[in-house]
Amino acid sequence: MSLRRAPLTAAAFLAAGALLAGCTSGSAATPAASEPTGEITFWSSLSGMADVAAAFNESQDDITVDFEEIPNGANGGYTKLSAAIDSGTGPDVVGVEYYRLPGFAASGQVVPVDDLVPAATLDEYSDQVRGLVTFGDETYGMPYDAPPLVMWYRQDVLDAAGVDVPTTWDEFEAAARAVRKADPDAYLTSFFTNEPPLAPLAWQAGASWFGVDGDHWKVSIDDEASTKVADYWQKLVDEDLVKEQVGFSDEWNADLNEGVVNGWVGGSWSASGLMTRTEAAGQKGKWIAAVPPSWDGEPSGALSGGTSFAVTKNSENPAAAAAFLEFLTTDPAAVEARGDVGTAYLAYPGLNEVAEKVAPTGYFGNDIYQVFDEASAQVAPGWAWGPDYDITNTALVDAVTGAPTLGAALEKTQGATVDGLEQLGLDVSE
Amino acid sequence: MTVRVDDSPQRLRRRPIRGTGGRTAALFLTPFFLVFLVAMIAPVIYAIGLSLFAERRSGLGFGGAEKVFVGLGNYADVLASETFVAGFGRLALYCVLYVPTLLCVALALALLLDAAVAKARRLFQVLLFLPHAVPGVIAALIWAYLYTPGVSPIVSALSSGGIQIDFLSVHMVLPSMVNVAVWEWAGYNVIILFTALQAVPREVLEAARVDGAGEIRAALAIKAPLIGPALGVALLFTIIGSLQLFTEPKILSTATTAVTSTWVPNMWAYDAAFNRNNLPQAAAASIVLALLAGALSWVVSHLTSKGGTR
Repeated sequence: MSLRRAPLTAAAFLAAGALLAGCTSGSAATPAASEPTGEITFWSSLSGMADVAAAFNESQDDITVDFEEIPNGANGGYTKLSAAIDSGTGPDVVGVEYYRLPGFAASGQVVPVDDLVPAATLDEYSDQVRGLVTFGDETYGMPYDAPPLVMWYRQDVLDAAGVDVPTTWDEFEAAARAVRKADPDAYLTSFFTNEPPLAPLAWQAGASWFGVDGDHWKVSIDDEASTKVADYWQKLVDEDLVKEQVGFSDEWNADLNEGVVNGWVGGSWSASGLMTRTEAAGQKGKWIAAVPPSWDGEPSGALSGGTSFAVTKNSENPAAAAAFLEFLTTDPAAVEARGDVGTAYLAYPGLNEVAEKVAPTGYFGNDIYQVFDEASAQVAPGWAWGPDYDITNTALVDAVTGAPTLGAALEKTQGATVDGLEQLGLDVSE
Repeated sequence: MTVRVDDSPQRLRRRPIRGTGGRTAALFLTPFFLVFLVAMIAPVIYAIGLSLFAERRSGLGFGGAEKVFVGLGNYADVLASETFVAGFGRLALYCVLYVPTLLCVALALALLLDAAVAKARRLFQVLLFLPHAVPGVIAALIWAYLYTPGVSPIVSALSSGGIQIDFLSVHMVLPSMVNVAVWEWAGYNVIILFTALQAVPREVLEAARVDGAGEIRAALAIKAPLIGPALGVALLFTIIGSLQLFTEPKILSTATTAVTSTWVPNMWAYDAAFNRNNLPQAAAASIVLALLAGALSWVVSHLTSKGGTR
């Protein structure tokens, strides 16, 4: 996985960076009984974090943060992190995506922050986001961003096909048909086989793949709602209404530039990646963001990715690490310092006004942060990531290629996940 | 040999000298064996040890992991894994395609080189070896680019000529990978075979020519059989190399999902270690693969050395 995107495009890194780009804030100014001092190390794959660390270093004299950029998860960042922590050379503070955090927490590689960060600060987060970093009774990280699932469309292509922005999945299918009809070379959007967005789409449809049932994990990846989503996309693929392809690939970049692919089932983080990829093709002002279509007329949403920052067990100065952690995730100055490298949608209340000001929103045809707000407000409750989501993700990607249908792929993923977790000795029910 | 050493009084007299030789040899060999011990033997022993244990978490898994002895349990799990066994199936198919292709191409090129005029020889030797000078990862990256529809000049040239090929489709990806490996390794094997050809006694070739054999006849009936041992070595290296197949599929998996995360056994072990965080299973898979490579190379070297002496 780690090598996957490296050869293909630097833009992918930018996109990944954008994912993380908007969310730093902190309250470094919160003085503890005795001010923490010293030197700490900070690893992240998010672009612009070097500037955040530099801003923190300038803002006070007690703590010095050494920043090191690591590859993103798809490029082996977590492999490196895990090996470093196990060998005692890990950083003090590190960025971990929500889906990966339970794994690091379960292996004890990151430590709870409940005693390090004021409870009042943690209580500011919404229950949904807080839930993504809370396992058992302990909080294993500070949420950085909470990027909602967002649809991106070429407004001019929708206009040419004579359709409005789809508000239901039925309308989405009709729009896909209309785009194909208006231009036989064009597709409304693509379906990524390497990163199938089935998890956020299932979440949006009301599914919950993982849950805690007493003292065991309940895994329901092939439940009714998820199967409905899989069958729907399978139909779009079968009827050649969406283009099946490898996302973030050179082919996909070319398709975006040439108007072959005119939409993206992405997240709020997609914006800067989209801009990087399509700016040279003169597509400024043509792209718009939209909330995901609904299944039953009732608006519903999901999160698409997102990162938390955590303190590792290697940290010899957790107090200083926590001070930086707070600055990073809750301080508007951190958002400003990070600048316009992305369009982050931050988890801590009150930061998105700042993020919106520094983000390159002018590239788009509508007010994207207003869409983010709307999409964020309708996120369906109750989703949790499993104890070792890498097992699930690998199985899902393999099954999407290997299984005859997406529905069958979900069944295979369910089986592989249950087997994998049981092999680790966990108690699992289906 | 050992019998002679024992019964010869002359040899006995020479023993002090031989002893000195032993010490000198030891001096020269020590650095090698030190590194070999640290970089090869120790990791193997560590892996074997690792493969006998398993980390067991319990309940929800947040209570930390416990190390338990499971004997050969990991090996049973690995061998029972559908994807691991399927990986060996793919590897076998790859070998069937790759090994004969590579050796035929290398032999043909070596024979051509041997028949070429002296000046052209050196030039072509260098040209043929050039791809091998490109690191495997880079080669795979370049080929991944050349295979990707929409950006590859080759694919677009073919399609403008009316030929639609998706090099990265489920059925084509294996031949595509063989192509990368042949491109990379042909030059190396040409050098091995060409060097052996240089040692073919010229009087044998002259005798053949006097008997009326043309260049082609001489190449096929005289030269090829005479470099049998070199072919055997090339075969051995190629087969062992094939079992280690990792770089090409790993890189191509970034360009196509036809290459799954557990496509070949080495990738299975990598996935176990770094995606599923199951180091003991990864160790067991690696040991299985190493045993197989050892067994196979014994078989191949046994067969080719027999063939060589006959």
